[in-house]
Formats: sequence, structure tokens, C-alpha cells
Amino acid sequence: MTWSRERLSALVRQDAVDRQVYMDPELFELEMERIWGRAWIYIGHESQIPESGSFFTTDLARQPVLLVRHDKETFHLFFNRCAHKGTKVVELESGRAPMLRCGYHGWTYRTDGVCHHITGGDAAYQALGLSKGSLCMNLTKVPRAESYRGFIFASLAPDAPELASWLGPTAASIDNMIDRSPEGRLEVAGGVLRYHHDSNWKFFVENLNDMMHAMIAHQSSAQVARQLGKKIAAEGGTLPPEIQILAPFAEDPDFFEKMGVHAFANGHSYSGGKISIHASYSGIPEYEAALEQAYGKERMEQILSLNRHNTVVYPSFTCKGAIQTIRVVKPVAVDETVIESWTFRLVGAPDELLQRSILYCNLINSSANIVGPDDREAYHRLQHGLRSKGERWVSNRRYVGAGEPNEEGGRSATGSSDMVFRNQFEAWRQYMTADAAGGG
Amino acid sequence: MASQPALRDLEQFLFHEARLIDEKRWEEWGALFTEDGEYWVPATRGQPDPKNHVSLMYETTLLRDVRLKRYRHPNAMSLQPLPHSVHVIANVMLDSFDEAAGTCVVNSRFIMLEYRRNEQQTYGGATMHVLEQSGQSFKIRMKKVELANCDSVLPSIQIYF
Repeated sequence: MTWSRERLSALVRQDAVDRQVYMDPELFELEMERIWGRAWIYIGHESQIPESGSFFTTDLARQPVLLVRHDKETFHLFFNRCAHKGTKVVELESGRAPMLRCGYHGWTYRTDGVCHHITGGDAAYQALGLSKGSLCMNLTKVPRAESYRGFIFASLAPDAPELASWLGPTAASIDNMIDRSPEGRLEVAGGVLRYHHDSNWKFFVENLNDMMHAMIAHQSSAQVARQLGKKIAAEGGTLPPEIQILAPFAEDPDFFEKMGVHAFANGHSYSGGKISIHASYSGIPEYEAALEQAYGKERMEQILSLNRHNTVVYPSFTCKGAIQTIRVVKPVAVDETVIESWTFRLVGAPDELLQRSILYCNLINSSANIVGPDDREAYHRLQHGLRSKGERWVSNRRYVGAGEPNEEGGRSATGSSDMVFRNQFEAWRQYMTADAAGGG
Repeated sequence: MASQPALRDLEQFLFHEARLIDEKRWEEWGALFTEDGEYWVPATRGQPDPKNHVSLMYETTLLRDVRLKRYRHPNAMSLQPLPHSVHVIANVMLDSFDEAAGTCVVNSRFIMLEYRRNEQQTYGGATMHVLEQSGQSFKIRMKKVELANCDSVLPSIQIYF
């Protein structure tokens, strides 16, 4: 069955999507070409490749890629495959090397991808008029790779729009995370957690700005945490950070309505802003002093008062500026997704800030935590519930038409609105039905 | 602690601890820890501390209490159906005994099967217990589990190793 533009377009209605968007393996392959092959996809952070020769390997739309620092100003993103036979050149996840050498036949590349050494020399290629200086002997670059203030995104589409304008108002979420450093700098620190999900990538991406699930799906951990918190407070104690992190998941539905959701072009969104479940963490005086010294009181208050809950840069990147953590989406198959969670050090801030981010990730993003498994279970049940052919349409009906334009050029709506999902699927429809010649 | 504990008694304690987990006797298991007892599963090999690097689990008494109470909560979505486990504990060795502090460090290896809803996961690793004598038995001051695949992509893990 071929997916014509008309058939693809018919999968998305204003108020619902066809269940096939989560279920069909052919649609998943098309998504890899047309969404993940065209959008800007998050690769890594510049602090992961600090010095000339530093490298970092990851996947871009399931393809192995290699990020290398060439010199102070320049980094390159290559397809991680040897120009000779196609062997993955760098297997380690990160490291530093003066040259990149393929372990199979010894072809060696400079950090700008230019071939430095061919085992046996050029003679074997004379009949073809080729030598190690020929373009086809070099590592192949990913068509586009740009840094937005240290956050490196790449696109397989040579004609992708400029990154900063494509990010739109979600760039301010990244800005806020950076601004929270007294020196305006971030460093990846504290390791990575990789969580396997047996479900479609879109369930995760939707869930981040699903303001209706927390007090239901996370009731078991958040209610228990609230009860323990009440007991501690009744005994005159201060709330430990673990309780401050877990308890707000069981806030009243009204709290989540007030957080609100905000949707923008290209499928991007964020929730919260003025308030979020991260807004009531206790202050760290030493940190606030450092921030005030760097920015002045007024600007400091402005920075700390921005409390976006989850920002989604559709389809691959999500961040929580208020606690300096990102989650990166890596689709594997139509019903298989890996979610990576990374934490950042605010350069110039006390260690407690990083330690709070780490505590948050241990509690929420680790495979062995007591919050994430309930999300994973919800996605699993979605993946299985939607096997049912009794109903074609998956509802996105809440508050259709009720949002209003916001100052940032998008639309805002009450927290439990499905507006963000409708917006994601509008972007999905646009990517999937655009001229099929682009991307890869 | 008057004298170095017998290896057999230490083994029996580790077997008992694992059995409490497999039999879902959560409260009894929680009571094996000292008030400041910690349970730690690093997310990377040779991780120096649990504060400055993410972990798969790092629980003090407070967090252990949250998890153990959650096991009994009627609406814990990912615990319906409940996961089940089988632990096998082996290679138990007494690494050190501190007579003055009354504590000992015990090293062991484990294999754990976690089964839930037609899927079975296999985990294995090295466990370090810091134990202190308590009456005729022991209390756990620290249980550190170094999983063989700690840095892998992992699905939900819902039972203590």
C-alpha cells in the first residue's frame, strides 16, 4: 500500500488522528525520511567536544553520526562510516584523538574529515584517476549542522531553514537555561540515562505537555510523597528536596490548567511559564548571590521567574530550563523508542544545582525510578489499546478552538487543552505531505 | 561486635534479604536497613559517588519509604500486573571486618530474573553490603549494586536487586 499525499493528509483531522500514525511500520519509515530527515534534530552539546580532536558519536534518524571538534571555532558532523567499505569508523561514544582511524583496513581521516592515509597508497585507484585527495575518499558530512548557543542540531535536508529561526520561541527556553549560569555557560555533566520504551516516539513527545496525566498516572508516587511531606511538616521539619520534586506531580488539576500550554510553528511547544511543578523548589542563597552579582537584581528575578515546565522542540529535543536537564528522543522502530536524559552544570553556580538536576533525573528519568515506569506503562497500553480497530480516530478534541494568540506569535490554551497535540500533528501533516524530494 | 561474624551467618543474611524481596515482604525488607541505610545502583562503572553523577537508583530511607509504600498503592499503573523476581546470590566473601566500628563489608554476586506480563529480564552484577551487627543478625548500612549492564539502554526496573 503506498502512502499518497492525499492518504497521508487524511490521517490528520483537526480534532483527531488516525490510529495508524502510531501503528504502521511504513508510516514510521516515512517519518524517518520526511520528519526526522528534514527537521533539525538534536545531536549534542559543544561542551562534549571541548578540544580539537574531541569526538562524540550518536544517531540521527537511526543513522550513526560522528561529531568532531576540528579547531576552536569549528566542529564537523559526519556520517560515521568509512569512505572505504562503510565500516563504522568510531565505535566509542566519546573521546579524543588526533586522527580518526578505521579499525578494519586502517584508513585514517583528519578531524575535518579529509582522508589522511589509505593503506597501500593511491596505486590501487590509478585506473579510476582517484587518489587520497579525491572527495570520495573523505568522510561524508551531514548536510547541515549548526549550534544554537552550544546546542548542536543537524538536518539531513540541505535546504533546512536557519536553526535559530526554526526554533522560534522555544529558543527562549534554551536561553533561560543558559542564563541561569552566572557566567552564561553550560556544561554537560553527571552522565546520561538511557531508557528503553516499547512504544511509538510520539507518545513520549505528546506526554511531556500532557497536563492531565500527572495527578492520575503518577498518583502512587506523588500521593505517598505528599503524605510523607505532610508528616515531616507537621513535625516541624523542612521539606527534603526529594519530596519537593515528587509531591507536585499530585497537584490539583486546577494547578495544571493554570500552567497552560503554548504552541508554535514547526510543532514546537512548552507548558508552564509563570508557574510549573518546578517553581517551588527552595532557593540556594549562594547561587542567587552569584546570579545577582552577574546580572543585577532585576534581571536575576526575571531569569528565575521564567518557569517553563517542558519545552518540546519537535520532534527530537525536550528541555527543562528550570532544572537544567534535557531529554532526547531516539526512535528505533514504530513501537520502540529510546529516551536519553542529560544533565548540565551551570558554570559558576554551586554544585548543589547540578546535584538537584541529578536527583531529579534519578527520581524521574532513570529506568529504575518510581515515576517514569508509569509513563512507560501508559505508552505501552496506548500501543496495545490502539490495536483495536473498533475506532479509527484517536481524539484530540479537548478545547478545540478555545486557545488564543500569545505574545510570542503562537497560541496559548488552558493546561488540559489538546492544542499542543493538534499543533504537533499539523506539523506532522506538513512534513509528511511536503514535496517528497527533500530529506533522505 | 565481639568477634568477626561467621561467613555462613553472613550468607544466610544475604539469602534472607533476597528472599524477602522475591516474596514481596517489602516492609520486612525495608526494616533490614539502618536509619541512615542507603541503597545505590550506579549508572556507570566505577562511579565515585551518588551525588554528582546520575544513578539508576540512589535511595535513602525517605525514598525507600516512598517506593515501599507505593508497592501497596491501589493505583500504581506500572505495578498492574505486579512484577515478580527470583534472586540467586553466590560468591559471598567477607572483604573486611572493622572490629571497632562493628561493621563488615561483604561482597557477593547475584543473578536476578524480573518477570512481568510475558516479559522476563535478566540482570546480574556485584553487590557490596556494609553490614553492622544487630542482636543475632545484621542491619544494612549500605547496599551498592554494580550491575553488569548498568550503562545499557534499560527498560523499567521495578524490583530491588
